[in-house]
Amino acid sequence: MSVDIQLAPVIHFEPGAQSFKPSRGGNLAASALRAGSLLAFVAILFVFSLTAPYFLSVGNIGNVLGQSAISGILAIGLTVVLIAGGSNVVTGGIDLSLAANMGLSAAVYATTVQLGYGDAAAVAAALVTGFLIGVVNAAAVVGAGIVPLLATLAVMNIVAGLELVLTQNTVIPASTPLLTALSSSGPLGIPALAYVLLVFTLIAAAIVQYTPAGLRLYAVGEFPDAARAAGLPVRRLVASAFIASGLCGGFAGVLSVSNLSGSTTGSGEMLLPVVVTALLGSVFSRRLVPTVIGTLLSTLFVGFLVNGFQLLNISSVLVSGVQGLLILLVVSATTLLRRQEA
Amino acid sequence: MSAALPDETGDAIHLDRIVKRFDGALALNHASLRVRRGTVHGLVGQNGAGKSTLIKLLAGLHQPDEGRIEIDGQAYDRLTPHRVEELGIHFIHQDRLLVPTFTVGEALFLGREPRITGTPFLDRRLMQRRASEILDDYFGVKLPNSALISELSTAEKQIVQITRALLDQPKVLVFDEPTAALVRREADILFRLIRRLRDEGVTIIYISHYLNEIEELCDTVTILRNGEDVATLPLGETSAAAIARLMVARDIADMFPKRSVTLGKDILSLDHLSSHGKYQDISLTLRRGEVLGLTGLLGSGAKDLIRTLFGLETATSGQIEIDGQPARSANPAQAVDRHLALVPEDRRGNGVALDLSVTENITLSSLKRFTRLGFLDFNGERSEADDLIRRLEIKASGRNALVRTLSGGNQQKVAIAKWLSRHSEVYLLDEPTVGVDIGSKVEIYNLIGDLAARGAGIIVLSSDLAELIGITDRILVLFRGSIIREFVSSRTSPDDVLAASTGSSEVLRHVG
Amino acid sequence: MTLQTSATAPSIPRAVIGVIVNNALVLALITVFAIFSLASPTFLTIANLQSILVNNFTLLAIVAIAMTFAVSVGGIDLSVGTAVDFASFAFVSLVLAGQPVAVAALAGLGAGAAVGAFNAVLISGIGISPFLATLGTLFIGRSIQQLLTNGGNPVYLPPSGIPEAFRFLGRGAIAGIPVPLILAAITILGATVILTRARFGRVALAIGIQTSVVRYSGIAARAHVAVAFILAGLIAAVAGLILSATVTVYIPSSGSAFLLNAIGATFIGTTLSRLGRPNIPGTVLGVLLLGIVANGLLLTGLNFYWQQVGTGLLIFAVLALSFITRRKASA
Repeated sequence: MSVDIQLAPVIHFEPGAQSFKPSRGGNLAASALRAGSLLAFVAILFVFSLTAPYFLSVGNIGNVLGQSAISGILAIGLTVVLIAGGSNVVTGGIDLSLAANMGLSAAVYATTVQLGYGDAAAVAAALVTGFLIGVVNAAAVVGAGIVPLLATLAVMNIVAGLELVLTQNTVIPASTPLLTALSSSGPLGIPALAYVLLVFTLIAAAIVQYTPAGLRLYAVGEFPDAARAAGLPVRRLVASAFIASGLCGGFAGVLSVSNLSGSTTGSGEMLLPVVVTALLGSVFSRRLVPTVIGTLLSTLFVGFLVNGFQLLNISSVLVSGVQGLLILLVVSATTLLRRQEA
Repeated sequence: MSAALPDETGDAIHLDRIVKRFDGALALNHASLRVRRGTVHGLVGQNGAGKSTLIKLLAGLHQPDEGRIEIDGQAYDRLTPHRVEELGIHFIHQDRLLVPTFTVGEALFLGREPRITGTPFLDRRLMQRRASEILDDYFGVKLPNSALISELSTAEKQIVQITRALLDQPKVLVFDEPTAALVRREADILFRLIRRLRDEGVTIIYISHYLNEIEELCDTVTILRNGEDVATLPLGETSAAAIARLMVARDIADMFPKRSVTLGKDILSLDHLSSHGKYQDISLTLRRGEVLGLTGLLGSGAKDLIRTLFGLETATSGQIEIDGQPARSANPAQAVDRHLALVPEDRRGNGVALDLSVTENITLSSLKRFTRLGFLDFNGERSEADDLIRRLEIKASGRNALVRTLSGGNQQKVAIAKWLSRHSEVYLLDEPTVGVDIGSKVEIYNLIGDLAARGAGIIVLSSDLAELIGITDRILVLFRGSIIREFVSSRTSPDDVLAASTGSSEVLRHVG
Repeated sequence: MTLQTSATAPSIPRAVIGVIVNNALVLALITVFAIFSLASPTFLTIANLQSILVNNFTLLAIVAIAMTFAVSVGGIDLSVGTAVDFASFAFVSLVLAGQPVAVAALAGLGAGAAVGAFNAVLISGIGISPFLATLGTLFIGRSIQQLLTNGGNPVYLPPSGIPEAFRFLGRGAIAGIPVPLILAAITILGATVILTRARFGRVALAIGIQTSVVRYSGIAARAHVAVAFILAGLIAAVAGLILSATVTVYIPSSGSAFLLNAIGATFIGTTLSRLGRPNIPGTVLGVLLLGIVANGLLLTGLNFYWQQVGTGLLIFAVLALSFITRRKASA
């Protein structure tokens, strides 16, 4: 960096005139929304812990983390695409192939193991699968110029079909040292998957939130013209977001095998919950944008909800309703706040 | 800043006899711009004179049809925005290209982010520190590190954008209407900065409508008119008044087919209409058969006034009456029901739907007339479209042609035809001839005359003063939200109107 | 100033591209039809073609038409399946409770329209983007169904208690033509008339193309958007009625199975039409394309699971081709 502008300060506004006015409506409203969401999160934890004493024990928290690992990693993958694609879900960033990607990667992993290969080869195969799916998405969106909603929809169909072809719609059992380790418990009796989720989130957050590349992804998604004006390779950045998302799908695939001791069908069911989770995550960020940590919080929010309902013997079917209501509340609040500002 | 060696002389920029056409319409006609190193060079001209086209050519956003572009004495064939930036030419745009959810530091350093030494991570602290240092040093502005771009005022955003350009140690800085959104005190700071940059050897191109600013700031000024550079003058030898005269064409006066219409009764009246922070205390009446001109610079409130009449904005106080009935409209639908028509400036965004056909556009607002029991009367639509295409001489491959395929002038005729079909009576025309070729302009002027003769009331908002004087009966000039002058069109000159709208009346009076 | 290249004289390849772009969907359909006719002797039989219409076409066509209305105003409706389910639930439950079939059917249509109205409030009233609004509706709808059915238990009609009219709706025929197919035909016809001949359709398409111009023309765009979403719910409800009458059972959240194919068919029909506008014939051809491919792949004896891959590849190829040629044509 050579930012050497060394000039004597010359001009100053009269004192006070230039001081930044913090009473800007937008900022306040955003803070209120974020505080409200966090408060709701804490309140729900509190209510559950009152009614179910076991709820806030280390063991239970670990369980929730472990159970949220797969959806959390998928949601983080989607978050990257949302960041680079912008807030308009129809024309901007969305990856509908993520859940199917996880299913196929899991099937590839289990099949590779069945063929007698070791963990390393199987993990590599799963990750390559995810990577290739990401490349196809990137080519379709950036190369052919298909809107992401349609491109990833078509890819989703293909991938889900390939999974069926590979598995013949059956469970492919798999048991390897890695899977055993993943499904065991780690320190403090907390599931290993919980640690995997935390470490993965940390790494993802470090890349997305703390590197120049991450910053550029935000610029590309929110204001492509500004990104272009700053000389950023917009197309390459968007493509890399889809590829990153594909890799997340591959990784989640490996984890899902450990969770279920084999590859199973029905991964497509996870798609829409993951979409909602990733979209909800933005309320946990100061700037109301998708962030890795925000997505983690949103994943855990849903995880605790499911867990609490189970502990209280409430049907967990309410979870999807609560998620739906939340997203409508959040989006209504932001829309109305923005309208008031304008 | 190491821009130019002190002993170096010559041209930083030389655009030589540039020709540029858009859809056949001539935007630049052998226009030249020659900017000497280390000077502040003003560029002025009315809307449509070719300023923005010239600047976009320099920015590498358009390619010239004819002519040469020389930068630092070297000719360039195909400039790209990237190449231009490498050559050290930076643009401060009117639309500020800053990501709204970024902090000031992030916005400043996007694309050249500092890393924490030895790691791949962003050095946010350094970014924030450098940002506040630079802002403080250059502008004496203190912004909290956490401030987001979306929370800044327009002036603050402008400052951030200028600072972004300064980080690249530019050789040439192009300012496009930088003070349009600034208050005087902020503008003063900008001027001092520009002088300081010049003294450090940076070449400045300064585009502005405010002639007093040009007079105050620039060493040289080039005046564009109708796509040609009519003069390049040192500021010592000229004045705002002389510049104003050069900006306005006189030879096209005869293209205005003036006709005398007997004025009817009042059709529209505004009574002490105010909108907080936009315009104050506006009273006026418009009579049937009258063409009223409205003009003012960006931020004068003229545009907001038009938007209020059409229900796109709301006034905070005051009355609007149409044919003696209260007519403050809450939305365009109400305004249209009161026979108001708006031909908006952003023709391709709001005036016509580019991917609908000519017929579909023409009948969009009057569909009720062509509906029987909820179903469309295609024959009625067709004959209405054919009729208007013939009357307005709209040139299209057919009534089913998409409006996208029409020239700017013909698109504008479609936008007006829509309201003729609606039988509107009060026409609000916002910059009706921007981006329209000369031939179509005359046809649109004729059309306005026809409308007036049929008893419609017409308000034309235009910054083309010759046009305004040519086609209107009266002209109201808005300045900073108030009507400051009224002219009778037949007894005024573009110079007078321009002087009034730029707030430089006094200057003119002194010069005589 | 805009960056529009002046129109150049059409060269031959450009003209060819033009023909392909303008008739892409019909060409694709003919190609696929020809391929399967050659590949499988049973494909081109009356029985098989009828099976395509009944099994692969009817319900999806109706749901896709519902989707087309949402898309026509520039939106999307992820909750079409929810409207199918709600209609089906209301219909089956009321018939089970002994209500006349006509009353139950009306209630079913009302339930679907209510889902649409809920979306309309969110989109036109509050201003939420259609994708997010209908996504929320989809999730809430899922929970409501679970609550109504004690955690997702199907609602069966006992074989003895099925009224004749109910059975007729699902499995009856008039002059040898299955009733569901007749209902689909009526829906297609009605929707086509609304979208091309009614004032509402014109305004809806204009909103989808350039909302601001519609607003600047003095038309209440939001009201039209609301109506489009209510219509989408109502039309999806028709599919719900047919579905439950055919299988004589209501299964919670079964309508979501239509969602992705309905989106696919609608956008294939839209992007591959001459003007690139949402249109009912295009949607119907899109559904037909999907149906023929599914059926044809089945007949060629290809592994059942390859069918899905084939369908996906086909949609992908069609989309890629159309976007690339479109880009070429406009370049």
